[in-house]
Amino acid sequence: MVTLAIAKQTLEDMLRRKILLILLIVAVAMIALGPSVGFLSPRESSAVLRSLGLAVILLAGLLITVLTGIQVIPTEIERRTVYTVLSKPVQRYEFVLGKFLGGLFTVFVMIASMGIVFIGVLRYQEGRFATEMIQGVMMTFFQMTLLGALAIFFSTFATPVVNFFLSFGLFIVGNMSAVTESLLNNKNVATRLIAGAVHYAIPNFGNFNIQNKLIHPQVVIKDMNVFIMQNIAYALIYSAVLLLLAIIVFDRREV
Amino acid sequence: MAAAVSIQGLTKTYLDVWSKTEIRAVDNLTLEVEEGEIFGFLGRNGAGKTTTIKMLLGLIFPTLGTATVLGKPIGDTDAKAQVSYLPEEAYFYEGMTGWDTMDFYARLFRIPEPKRSERIRQCLKDVFLDESAWRRPIRGYSKGMRQRIGIAQALINDPKLLFLDEPTSGLDPIAHAELREIIVNVGRQGKTVFLSSHQLPDVELTCSRVAIIHRGKLLTSGKTQELTAGDKVEITFSGGDAALAEKVKAVAGTCEAKNGTCRVPAVDPQKVNDIVDLIRGAKASVVSVVPHRRTLEEVFVDTVMKAGAN
Repeated sequence: MVTLAIAKQTLEDMLRRKILLILLIVAVAMIALGPSVGFLSPRESSAVLRSLGLAVILLAGLLITVLTGIQVIPTEIERRTVYTVLSKPVQRYEFVLGKFLGGLFTVFVMIASMGIVFIGVLRYQEGRFATEMIQGVMMTFFQMTLLGALAIFFSTFATPVVNFFLSFGLFIVGNMSAVTESLLNNKNVATRLIAGAVHYAIPNFGNFNIQNKLIHPQVVIKDMNVFIMQNIAYALIYSAVLLLLAIIVFDRREV
Repeated sequence: MAAAVSIQGLTKTYLDVWSKTEIRAVDNLTLEVEEGEIFGFLGRNGAGKTTTIKMLLGLIFPTLGTATVLGKPIGDTDAKAQVSYLPEEAYFYEGMTGWDTMDFYARLFRIPEPKRSERIRQCLKDVFLDESAWRRPIRGYSKGMRQRIGIAQALINDPKLLFLDEPTSGLDPIAHAELREIIVNVGRQGKTVFLSSHQLPDVELTCSRVAIIHRGKLLTSGKTQELTAGDKVEITFSGGDAALAEKVKAVAGTCEAKNGTCRVPAVDPQKVNDIVDLIRGAKASVVSVVPHRRTLEEVFVDTVMKAGAN
């Protein structure tokens, strides 16, 4: 009950942030205007539209997640609302989980809104519901879940500005998993060690990018359902570990 | 009577990263607050009052020493369920309405419906928050309304112990008086109030005991009546002649005669009986024997100045 109350308050607070609403409006407008750029590649207008839609959702989701993740806990401390919350019978883990869930609900609402518009535009353009695109939107959400957990973890000890660059930086590096994986077989030992450390320690955000497989049906994945479930499990387990670390750090933090 | 708050040797130090020196915000503080009393915690800005309260609430951690709140160690969730806190500035989620704010805090105390709505209504009425403001966002509230909702949220769990940090600072005189009345009413209900304040007349009116800290150290503590009790007595009498006035002057050191009435402004308590006997012996009338009292402000200033404050 306490965790959900904090999550609900966080969701409502974040949905009042103008910057997030502006991002959502811009993203929805870009998705809605997607069909008008089909002329750039007449023979593959559907692929362009799908690619654009998923890219917009990813980019907007990324900004929304980072801006939410870096703010939810530091803002409480900066505005000192944390005093009246933590002086109540609220455990610190409940506070961290509530803040994370509130941020996650915010990201969910934003991504779901963009996803609904995206599917609607495709329905209008192609005359059918492109239900397979839901997988792409869903994977973006779980990718953002992992990124949100990472941002929450950093927010327990880093300033929002430092956290912004850390989260963004690790998201970019984590998206280059194919590169780091290829370097694991490098002849140079140092390169192998560094690539190994980066590949296994930093969340593998690249695994969630299934756009190519969705946009280009010729790219084959043996079992899409297993692939998706594996990635969802990876996101949830990694997020749980990050949240555990966040709780351990915040439990020792003075507010 | 059991102690609502018991502090033993509580110390909080910070390291100044620039000068590499240790700053003692609270220094070996030992203190007891009994159940059911309104306790005044006094000190200058930066004396360590808020730091002490924050340690007692588990928001920051003591460097040394221990404390119990309602018999439980610092940070205990069961104790927190019976404790409330109003910070120096009442900080709220600005976009929330007064009612939603109360609902949020009530949920943190796990108060179920319909009791939750009843408590919210009762607390908002107890602090005289205008009903038309209940459903308005807090960002539009005045300072006085914010303090009222701050007190209301502190009462939502019907607490046994309230920590109030400068609850009347920055309020206009009417709001100030009303809020003081609310605090007195809370005390009448048998709740323990730990009141940190600069408003010494308020503290003198409301608190049965006070403690004064300076630079983190406890300078004095005791019953307000005892601390403000003076060490002199003023005697007034009428009907005596010049010879009586001279005799009284010889004992007390001074005697001011005016319009047939004599006033002896500062008599040592042990000489009171001798002077009264002289007056009665001369068939004059004792008009009044009034013990001097100091204001709490005088006690505070004297105590802090003696401790070497500038």
